[in-house]
Amino acid sequence: MSVSHAEPALPRDRPRPGVLREMFNAHELLGQLIKRDLRLRYRQAVMGFAWAILMPALTIGAGLVIRSVMAQGASGEDVPSIGGITIKSWAWAFFAGGMNFGTTSLLGNISLVTKIYFPREVLPAAAIATQGVDSLLSLALILLAGPWLGFHWSVQLLWMPLLILVLAVFTTGLAFLFACANLFFRDVKYILQVLLTFGVLLTPVFVEPAMAPRLTGRLLMLNPLGPILEGMRLTLVSGGSIGHTIYNAHGVPVWTPWHLVYSMIFAAAIFVIGISAFRRTASMFAEYY
Amino acid sequence: MPGGRIVFDHVWKRFHRGPAHDSLRDLLPALVRRARPGGGAEETLGSGDFWAVRDLSFEVTPGQALGIIGGNGAGKSTTLKLLTRILQPTRGFALVEGRVGSLIEVSAGFHPDLTGRENVFLQGAIMGMPQRLIRERFDEIVDFSGVSESIDTPVKRYSSGMNARLGFSIAVHLEPEALIIDEVLSVGDASFQNRAFERIRSIVRSDIPVVIVSHQLDRIVELCTSTILLSHGAQVFAGPSAEAVGLYLRGEQSEDGALTGAHSDVPIRFTGLEALSPVPVLSGESLRLRIGTHALRSVPDDTYKLEVNVYDVATNRRVYQIHLAKLDLHPTGPGDRSDTIVVQMNLPAGLYRFEAMTWDVVAMRRAAAGPSLMVQVEDRVELIGTHQLNARRDA
Repeated sequence: MSVSHAEPALPRDRPRPGVLREMFNAHELLGQLIKRDLRLRYRQAVMGFAWAILMPALTIGAGLVIRSVMAQGASGEDVPSIGGITIKSWAWAFFAGGMNFGTTSLLGNISLVTKIYFPREVLPAAAIATQGVDSLLSLALILLAGPWLGFHWSVQLLWMPLLILVLAVFTTGLAFLFACANLFFRDVKYILQVLLTFGVLLTPVFVEPAMAPRLTGRLLMLNPLGPILEGMRLTLVSGGSIGHTIYNAHGVPVWTPWHLVYSMIFAAAIFVIGISAFRRTASMFAEYY
Repeated sequence: MPGGRIVFDHVWKRFHRGPAHDSLRDLLPALVRRARPGGGAEETLGSGDFWAVRDLSFEVTPGQALGIIGGNGAGKSTTLKLLTRILQPTRGFALVEGRVGSLIEVSAGFHPDLTGRENVFLQGAIMGMPQRLIRERFDEIVDFSGVSESIDTPVKRYSSGMNARLGFSIAVHLEPEALIIDEVLSVGDASFQNRAFERIRSIVRSDIPVVIVSHQLDRIVELCTSTILLSHGAQVFAGPSAEAVGLYLRGEQSEDGALTGAHSDVPIRFTGLEALSPVPVLSGESLRLRIGTHALRSVPDDTYKLEVNVYDVATNRRVYQIHLAKLDLHPTGPGDRSDTIVVQMNLPAGLYRFEAMTWDVVAMRRAAAGPSLMVQVEDRVELIGTHQLNARRDA
C-alpha cells in the first residue's frame, strides 16, 4: 500500500532558492513572457512600433511648449536645452512605463498566479524588461537624432550605462513593491496614477534645478530620480564629467558626485526592499488577491 | 529520468469564509506577522475561519499513483493547490520533488491574441518545460492535439474543445518527474478522450509518482494503486482504490436518504461479502459470491429477505438487482450462516459494485445495507445479444 503514515524525515522549512538562481532557472519563461508582451503590444496596434517613438515624441513636444513659455523674459542660458528635455523625457517615460506595466503585471496575470506555480518574480520582471526593450529602441532613435539635439559625443558618454542601470534598478525595486501592494490593495494603481501625474512636476524633467529657486532646486535633486536625470543631461548635452563638481556660469555648484552616490544608495535600498517584500508575500498571492 | 517524490506531512490549511479581509486594520497586522521571517502563520482558527484540509499525511513514491476522492468541498482542490505549490500549508509540510507536471487548467497560460504555435511555447515555459524540449516535441504536441490546421491562428478563434486539446497535449508531453491530474480525463470529444486516457495511463505506468483527483471513479480504480477518501478536509479512509470508492459511494447514498429505517431493528447482520472466484472477471464468465450473515433471533421467511444490488461505478446507477427471495434465511434461531451464489456476468467491460442488502418484506423497503464489493469486468470478445446478469444459488 502506498499510503504511508510514517513521519517523513524532512526539513520543516523548505528554503526557496535565491532570487538570482530562481530567475536564472526561469529565464526561458521570462523570455517567453517578454516575447508575449511585445507581440501583444504591437500586434493589433495599427501603428505598431511607431508607438515606441510617438509616446516619447509627445512628451518632448510638451517639454518644448513649457520651454517656450519659460523662454519668455528669460536670458538665453536659463532656457532648458532641447537635448536635455529629450533625454530626460525618455528616462521619465521608461520610469512611468515600467511602473505602470510592472504594477499591474501581477493582477493582470492573476488567472495564471492562482492556477500554475512558477516564480512570481518573472511577471513584474518581464513587464519592466518589455518596457526596457521599448525604451532602448527609442533611445537608439534619440541618439541618431543626436546632432540636431545638440548632444556632445565625448568619453563622458561612458557614464550613461551606469545612469541607465541606476534608473533600471530603482524602477524595478519600486515596481516590485507596487506590484505586490496592488494585489492586496486595489487602490494602489490609482495612487500610482496620481504619483506619475504629479511626479513629472516634482522631477527635473522639463526644468533644470539650477534654473529654479535655490530651495526648489535642492528639493528636485532630493528626488532620487533627479540626479539620475540631471546626470544624463549633463553627460549628453553639456559633455561635463559628472565625476566632478560642476558649476554654472554664476559659480554655483549645480552637480556634485554625491548626488549620484545618493541616487545609487537610494535605488539599491528600494531594490532590496521591493524584492524582499515581494518574495515575503509571494506565497499569499493566490490566496489573498 | 529520475522520478520525484510527493510527501504530505500533517498538512493543515485554513481558509477564511466571507470577504477576504474585513478591513485594512485586520489585514495589515496579519501581513506583518506573516512577512516576519520564521514568524510563520497564525495556527489557530479565528472567527469565520475553517480548515479546508485537516491533518493530511501521505507519501507517493515513483511508480505509485494515488487517487483522491470525496464530495464537493471535501478539500480535493485545496490539496491539489497545496501539491502544486500555489498555496502554502498553514501547518505541516508539503513537498513535491522534481519537475511537476500538472494536468490542471491545462490552457491557463494561453493568451487569446497569440497563435496556437506561440501559445505552445508560452504555456510550455509557464509549466517549466525547457524550450529545447518544446521545439523537439512540437510536431508531436500538435499532432496529438489534432489542431495542426489552425496552429497559426490566434487561439481566440479556437473552439473550447480545441483549446483544451492543445493545452492537454502540451501538458502530457512535458516529461514530468511527478504528475498531478485534476479532472482532465474528460477533455475533447470521445475519440480524443480515449487517446488522452491511453496517454495518461502510459504516464501513470511509468516510474513517477502520480496524484489523481477525479469524479470518474471507475478511472480512479483503474489507474490508482491506492486512494484517499476525503470528507470535510479530513481523510476518512486510505487504502485500496476499490474499497475507497465503495465507501465513498455508499456514503453518498446514505446522504441521499436512500437508507432509512432503524437499523437496530433489523435482526440480520452481514458478516461478509466476498468473491470466491478470481477478479477481474471476463465478460460472460461466472462469479461466485459468498454472503455471510448473522441472525440475532429467528427470522421467518416472510419478514426479511436478502438482495444484492449491482451498480455501475462510472455512473453510480443501479443496473441489476439480484433477488434471493427463495432463500430461507434464519428460520430456526440466532446463528451464523453463509450462502454462495453464482452470477453469470454478461456485462460490458467496466467497474461494478455489488452491495448486499436486507429487504423488509412487511414494510416493502430497504432495511439495511451490507458490505459492498468491487468487481472489474474485462472484455474478451465482442458481446452479442443483450447484457444481462444471471444469478442462481450455488448448490
